[in-house]
Amino acid sequence: MKRYAFLAILIQVMILLSGCWDQRELGEITVVTGMAVDKGENDKYVLTVEGINATELNKQTASGFAPSIVYGVEGNSLAELAYKVNEGISRHLIYSHMRTLIIGEELAKEGIIDFIDYLERNREIRDDFNILVARGLRGADILRVTYQFQKSPSLKLHTQLDTMMKDWGGDPGVRMNDVIRAWTSSGREPVMAAVTILGDPKKGLSSENMKKVTPDALVILDSLAIFKEDKLAGYLSLEDSRNYLWIQDKIIKTSITVECAEGRFMGLRVYNTKTKIKGEIQGGQPKIDINIRAEAYVDGTHCNNQFDKAKTFFECDRCAEKHLEKLISGTVKKVQEEYEADIFGFGEVMQRQDYKDYKPIEDSWDEKFAEADVKVDTTVIIRRTGIRTKSFLNEVK
Amino acid sequence: MSILKSLLKMRKKKELPIQIEEPPDADAGADLKTLSLEQLKEKIKDEFGSTIDLSMDDLKTEGKDALLVYLTSMVDTKQLKETFLQSLSGKHDGLKLTTEDDLKSLCKEKFGGAGYQLIETFNDIITALLFGNIIIVFKDLEKALSLSMASSEDRSITEPSTQTVIRGPKDGFVESISTNVSLLRRRIKNRNLRFEKFIIGSETNTSVYIGYMEGISNKKIVEEVRKRLRKIKVHAIFESGNIEELIADKTATPFPLALNTERPDTVAANLLDGKIVILVDGTPFVLLVPAVLVDFFSIAEDYYQNFMMGSFLRIIRYLAFMIALITPSLYVGILTFHHELLPTPLLLGIIAQREGVPFPAVIEVLIMEVTFEILREAGVRMPRAVGQTVSIVGALVIGQAAAEAGIISNIMVIIVAITAIANFVSPTYSFAAAARLLRFMLIIVSAILGLYGVLLVLVFIVAHLSSLRSFGVAYLSPVAPFIIEQQKDVFFRFPFWSMRQRPAYLKTQNPEKMPKTGSPSPPPMKGERAN
Repeated sequence: MKRYAFLAILIQVMILLSGCWDQRELGEITVVTGMAVDKGENDKYVLTVEGINATELNKQTASGFAPSIVYGVEGNSLAELAYKVNEGISRHLIYSHMRTLIIGEELAKEGIIDFIDYLERNREIRDDFNILVARGLRGADILRVTYQFQKSPSLKLHTQLDTMMKDWGGDPGVRMNDVIRAWTSSGREPVMAAVTILGDPKKGLSSENMKKVTPDALVILDSLAIFKEDKLAGYLSLEDSRNYLWIQDKIIKTSITVECAEGRFMGLRVYNTKTKIKGEIQGGQPKIDINIRAEAYVDGTHCNNQFDKAKTFFECDRCAEKHLEKLISGTVKKVQEEYEADIFGFGEVMQRQDYKDYKPIEDSWDEKFAEADVKVDTTVIIRRTGIRTKSFLNEVK
Repeated sequence: MSILKSLLKMRKKKELPIQIEEPPDADAGADLKTLSLEQLKEKIKDEFGSTIDLSMDDLKTEGKDALLVYLTSMVDTKQLKETFLQSLSGKHDGLKLTTEDDLKSLCKEKFGGAGYQLIETFNDIITALLFGNIIIVFKDLEKALSLSMASSEDRSITEPSTQTVIRGPKDGFVESISTNVSLLRRRIKNRNLRFEKFIIGSETNTSVYIGYMEGISNKKIVEEVRKRLRKIKVHAIFESGNIEELIADKTATPFPLALNTERPDTVAANLLDGKIVILVDGTPFVLLVPAVLVDFFSIAEDYYQNFMMGSFLRIIRYLAFMIALITPSLYVGILTFHHELLPTPLLLGIIAQREGVPFPAVIEVLIMEVTFEILREAGVRMPRAVGQTVSIVGALVIGQAAAEAGIISNIMVIIVAITAIANFVSPTYSFAAAARLLRFMLIIVSAILGLYGVLLVLVFIVAHLSSLRSFGVAYLSPVAPFIIEQQKDVFFRFPFWSMRQRPAYLKTQNPEKMPKTGSPSPPPMKGERAN
């Protein structure tokens, strides 16, 4: 009996003394879905968080107030600021549902590596949130623009980027762990998606913005931000962003427009594609072969193609291949010439495939990358032509 | 270290068994020959006092003075008049009743086949009276005649109120033990089906039968059942639940260690698997031992319908048990500790709903679970006529009013409802009760330690389950210890022809139920070779 009493007390004490330390009732928390980091006026950073007003996101309980609260504080370390935000926000902030991190352009140009450590180290914050650059703006401005369907700006951005990547491929799909991997790998420079505001950022602030068919301010995916080490080097167009993804073999689906005759175009929907990269260093000069194989279907054409003949398919294939080759090599060339930053990770390929020759030039790889001989070889196979074989264009009188 | 040592020390201490010998009853063996009829009459009157249902009549039969004793409350008086008094008339056939042999031949002649008994001690007379026999004591004879004439005022056989099936026999056990035995015997027409009688309860003298299949059941287990029944020294047995608690391997457990059922078909099937049935007079619930955990998830109907459907329903039952056990504690754990586990939209939805709820999640859950248990208890105990009121009030209180008043959130209503419904799925009431109890333990630990606590308690429950034995059989068998052949009837119900083995954990005398036949198949087509 004594023994059981002893054990019972032991168990109770163990449970009662150790429990509850990280307990948070739902009524005491505010979920943070987005964060923006900008350069501070006096101190190093300004951390702005977007805390969700959950009642407004629920259709039954919504009453037309602002869907979230955006508030920023200034200081020298994010670790402190993450809790200091409570100087303006009433509840505990929960960072585990954070989906987007937006970095202001000014700060991005000066370097971002210092505060990323906090984001990676913290036990609450996930490592797979979207990491973005606010082009020409402060990150906090992006967090303040409201939207009709998904009222929370950061959740909207998260979905928007995801959809974009799946349907067309403009978003590089870069999460925080990708950025860190690029920094720690010797043959790769990081990229991030860049977003900007279309319209007047000041008008985007209020929930009035959500009531308009064309909002006064809308956050759009603008371009691809290129970094050299941890500093923003410049931007590439959205088209280039898609091509970047293609080289990375991350395209899920995309569409390309091929000129099938003078001034006439044919839309191709690429639904299955595979990219293989081979690298070798010959006499000190890197040689890179990019091999792209894509399957597509015709998704609209201006030309009077006769798709009942196999020959037409082959002709279109050739035409698309040439076009695709031009696209891809154009992007590579632009990066080589303008930025000298190996965002494609060709260095990684070299390291794997030609380690012996790569090792001596590892430190000066970015210069070598600029001189690299990049060959693009594409194979496009058109499999189908939608639900029509012959276009009605043939029969128009 | 000192703690460990003191623990070990405490363990080593053993109390010396104290045995109390009951003084033998001085009157127990009082012979009839020492008593005259008058003395006997006095003595019986002493024993029974002035109870109104004792009837003692002097009669003269077969030319001899005799005494007829019976309890009017236990004896079918109509039968007594019709059969007995006709055959024992006042006529004197010249037969002399002077010796024991005379009595024997008289009985053979008149009551042969009616189940008579000759008894000689006074105590036997008392016992026989209590079981509804009539006693005739003849003057100057050493033995008395005892005839069974118990009235059978029974409920007719109806459909069992628990464990109902859609397809399957609709008869259930009743309160009369002899009817129950006949229900079993009718299902198993086999000379190897044996029943043994025990009288248990020093005050109630309740009949308890055990039944088993000779040549199938493990003899050691049968002997163990006998031993445990003999050991019982309680004053009263009213229900098989009393027996269950007295013969269980362990009392301090929420899990039932004997399977109780109202269904004769379930019992018959289990008897043929090598289990032992314990029937108690006065209750329709019979016990099956040894019971293992998986028995509580399989029902008779599993074997009467398509094996795929049977397997599906069985998996649903396991799932429902887990839902009933852990849903509320998962709710508490996730909502207070692990917000990151929910998808963002779901978390935001729950937050929006709980906005304004004044209680912490654990209090909310406890309020609702306790309310539900109260309602459920009320629903069971209320007189049938007002039963509907409970469901109406309950649905309103639980469902709408509480949520509208902002005391609880809507999602809580869903949690309580799914938990309750999942709990009702369990085919054996006593097993579902275990989930009901453990649920509260899980909720409280989860409120303190989160999902870590839930896991901790689950580990504890599994450890406890694996420590349990039912008549020496591991409670988790055939899963732990794992027996591969027996998996045909655990989570899935394999086709009938493939389940040829009796449960190996019962160590039956004959492990095979049937010869290998293979699956049924259509006759061979032309040109095809027959298998």
